[in-house]
Amino acid sequence: MKDGIIRVLLGKTTMEAHDRGVRYLATKLREAGMEVIFMNFLEPQEILDAAIQEDVDVIGVSSSVEGHLPVAREVTRRLKELGKENVLVMFGGVIPERDFAPMKELGVREIFGPGSSAESIVTFIRNNARRPHVALT
Amino acid sequence: MSTPVAAAAHPSAPAVNTPSTQFTTEFLEATRKLEQEWRQKFSAIAQKFGVDPSTYARHTDSGLPLKPAYFPHDVATVDFQSIGAPGIFPFTRGLYAAQYQFMPWANQPVIGYGLPEETRRRMDYLQSQGMTGYFGNTFYNLVYDLVSHEGIDPDHPAAEGRVGQCGMAVYSREDNARLFDGLPLDKINVVHISYYENLPVLAHYLAYARRKGVPWEKLGGNSMNWYYQSAYVGMTCFPPKAGMDLAAEIVSFCTKRMPKWNTVNIFGYGMEEAGSTAVQEVAFSVATGIDYARNCIAKGLKPDEFLHRFGFQISQANDFFEEVCKIRALRRIWARKCHELGARDPRSMHVRIHTHTSGAVLTAQQPLNNLIRTTLHAFGAALAGVQAMEVSTFDEALAIPTEHSATMALRVQQIIQDESGITRVADPLGGSYFVEALTNQIEAAALAIVEEVEKRGGYHKCHDYVREQIESSAVRWRDQVDAKERMLVGVNKYQSDEMQDVEVFKVNPDSERIAIERIKALRASRDHARWEAAMADLEQATVRFKGGEIGVLLPAMIEASDADATTGELMGVLKKHLGWAPPH
Repeated sequence: MKDGIIRVLLGKTTMEAHDRGVRYLATKLREAGMEVIFMNFLEPQEILDAAIQEDVDVIGVSSSVEGHLPVAREVTRRLKELGKENVLVMFGGVIPERDFAPMKELGVREIFGPGSSAESIVTFIRNNARRPHVALT
Repeated sequence: MSTPVAAAAHPSAPAVNTPSTQFTTEFLEATRKLEQEWRQKFSAIAQKFGVDPSTYARHTDSGLPLKPAYFPHDVATVDFQSIGAPGIFPFTRGLYAAQYQFMPWANQPVIGYGLPEETRRRMDYLQSQGMTGYFGNTFYNLVYDLVSHEGIDPDHPAAEGRVGQCGMAVYSREDNARLFDGLPLDKINVVHISYYENLPVLAHYLAYARRKGVPWEKLGGNSMNWYYQSAYVGMTCFPPKAGMDLAAEIVSFCTKRMPKWNTVNIFGYGMEEAGSTAVQEVAFSVATGIDYARNCIAKGLKPDEFLHRFGFQISQANDFFEEVCKIRALRRIWARKCHELGARDPRSMHVRIHTHTSGAVLTAQQPLNNLIRTTLHAFGAALAGVQAMEVSTFDEALAIPTEHSATMALRVQQIIQDESGITRVADPLGGSYFVEALTNQIEAAALAIVEEVEKRGGYHKCHDYVREQIESSAVRWRDQVDAKERMLVGVNKYQSDEMQDVEVFKVNPDSERIAIERIKALRASRDHARWEAAMADLEQATVRFKGGEIGVLLPAMIEASDADATTGELMGVLKKHLGWAPPH
């Protein structure tokens, strides 16, 4: 593992075709010097398995057509069980505002809706990921 | 002053773009002189604005270079035959000689959410609001939910929170009864919007129709067969070749048994939504169509037996003229490609287009602005002469449409149809120097990509290439928005803190529980021995299909559906034998 390089897992359910945003984000995070794993998943456990195996600092889940609450519940619950609460969990996509508060209560740190800039997400990760960002020379 | 050289166009003798000219030399000299005169005036104005006219350049959203004004000599190399006439090969100006004169395009809004009864209420409501298909019949454009797309049942753990979302919770023949009972199946047209569960969805519908006593040959509607989408989205049940073969199964069955059924939908819309440019949308649509057609021919079908049942779903996005011209270019390219494939019946060379106005360019910010965007999109599609239309609702970037937003989207179509007067003339933009020149540019650029795909062995052999192309366009698009090189009102220009308070739709929270109860009740109440035998037959048929036989799979699946097998169970068999080594 390379020190100082923030590792991010981005996930999207296989059921949904709205990949454009998350794929774009993957490109932008890579350009910002992060290591990014992008995966499609069916069940939340797959995200967790990959996150643990790859020792990621950040999990980002994209959802545009509901189903985000059960995934958020499962991912945050399992991270707590594993003592990995310091993994930063964020969501993006089309998530109704009424769900923001319950998701944050679960431990989701931020939710990025339509129109969010990649720059704001990069900044958020750099400021909040457990691994301090070290600029590449 | 001009002398068009008009050679008779005939489907059996298609012309290629030859460098012949439709204008006389004297005429072209005169128009070039006129352009020089114009250019001096243009340059003087540009300099006043501090712009160097020698380096000044504008481009379409696809990146094609534009001139600030067009002249007859800009279309001099376009064959008169290539432009042609409405209803005449190569159909650049439209498929039908009468275009919208006696019948406008069909209104086909996408409908589908919650339980089948809930979707049915929206179907009946929109029908009552004047949603009209061809010959006064009603077309229902029905989308299945994500759970169905994935080929699982609602009680699968991964279905939690997704049942009846972004589509209807329909998983069995029994659910088809809840959805369609009381509708005249032989008079309506039903588009079944599905991803990988095309065969189960069609099997349920056919098993249901048979029980209602409606002969299959009288059914009109559509299967999608969007397997090729796995190139650029993360939905990947089946490897590319298996997907093409599953599509060929439906094509083969319908060719023999269901002459009114549209068998394959070439989904350019999904490509543009994923980020492709208009040029790439045309190119990859054509490349997919060619690949699917070749596979059907390899399985023993003749082009004129099946090509006329291929349809296209094309996006209509922001660059008004490029989006109009791409449709004209697509019609011309497809007609010629189908001729090369051996088609001789003009219907086999038609690009029948269902327009879906772009959702990707709609904004969550100032959502009512989307009504204006979609009106422009729909207007462009009408000028391009498409056959059917879905107008995205203004709350697209927020949630599933409300009844109000769905009605407004229907009104957009109806106002254009009934008030604007543009249906009075076929291909009203035809012959415009700019439109014909841009149509030609798009054609050339798209053909170059089609050739690249062909070099790589055809679409199904180069998913990685397609993904790279589309993804890099998506990144460029967003970078341009961020750099304010591409304007989006409310996003990077004219932002406002004022909230437009719009109602956000929420699916009935009880739907998921009810759908689960129903599927469990169905499994418990069905004749278990009959179901087991039908599933064993399906398994055998799938193995034979995998071994290269065609026409065995769908009939076995219809019998399994009749024995109350669910979508998840039917798809399970397909995934087991034809899917990627399945983790699920």
